[in-house]
Amino acid sequence: MAFQPSKSKRHDTKIVGTLNMNSMMDMMTIILLFLLKSYSTSGALATQSESLKLPLSERTTKPKKELNVSVATDFIFLNEVPLMTTNDIDPNVFMIPQLEYKLIEYANQEKQMEIETGKEFTHEVIIQGDKTINFETLFKVMYTCSKSDFYKMRLLTVQSSKIE
Amino acid sequence: MAYKPSMRRSGVGLELELDIKPVMNLMVVLIPLLLAGVEYIKLSIIEIDLPPTQAGAGAGEGEQNPEQEREQRLGLKIAITRDGFTIATASAMMSDESGEGPTVPLNAENDFDYDTLKEKLIDIKKLIIDKKYDFKDRDTAVITAGREIEYQIIINVLDTIQKYTDEEGNIQPLFPQVNFGQIIV
Repeated sequence: MAFQPSKSKRHDTKIVGTLNMNSMMDMMTIILLFLLKSYSTSGALATQSESLKLPLSERTTKPKKELNVSVATDFIFLNEVPLMTTNDIDPNVFMIPQLEYKLIEYANQEKQMEIETGKEFTHEVIIQGDKTINFETLFKVMYTCSKSDFYKMRLLTVQSSKIE
Repeated sequence: MAYKPSMRRSGVGLELELDIKPVMNLMVVLIPLLLAGVEYIKLSIIEIDLPPTQAGAGAGEGEQNPEQEREQRLGLKIAITRDGFTIATASAMMSDESGEGPTVPLNAENDFDYDTLKEKLIDIKKLIIDKKYDFKDRDTAVITAGREIEYQIIINVLDTIQKYTDEEGNIQPLFPQVNFGQIIV
């Protein structure tokens, strides 16, 4: 048998609490504005890692998505795919044959696409280099690119207000 | 005849709450979407346009006498070594105040002196403008460096030689077109 409710509880009306969303809305609006301000339409072009830290530069020219040659301290990547180690670069010649072979392959694909679809072959290549790589490695990569039909080189940097 | 008082006068105050659930739903969708496209670091590029290799150097300029062509070239070269910067043109090589060593030696902190390099290049640029020399490569500089020179130093030099601020505070191009020369052994 159920107990009779106490007198004080007998006339209690159920209080329905509503969640106050105003402060949450304020917070969301601020976050939304912040995110809209720092939104990039070009997407992520570079992924920095321990072996690939881009140099700082004062330039403000925005990059576009193109063929990407990354020269890290240990590896050379072509469009994020590891191609060879930096130790494999022949110290006696300027050309890097492994890179040249792949670049010519890409250039031929682009030329074919230009004929078939009319999409212009821009001859542009983005070079991402770690800030500590030496001039010899950089020069060899640039030399190989220029000899493989990618003579418009774009050196990718991180924008800074002042030279380090 | 008096009108009947409106129900609002005697009625209990109705509190209408704004339904913000759809807005919240929109926010919840928008925030992850924008988070995915946020630019945490600002990237930029340095454009280096080399002539196509098929065309060869000096294609289409065959009518000119090589001697005459050399006279009309500035041929500005900046060599970067561990000792500093050496500036040279097609006709002369600049030396430092002592007459030997690089044009711009390392500063007191044993670091590369980008400010002095800029000053020297501004002097060259002003001389070209004042004397009205008609060099074909008046905006071009060729950079060469020792094999061990770090990429960041090359980028710093590229930044330094690109532009300058004149006496009136206007930003002017210095040597915006850059080519790379051979490695200094």
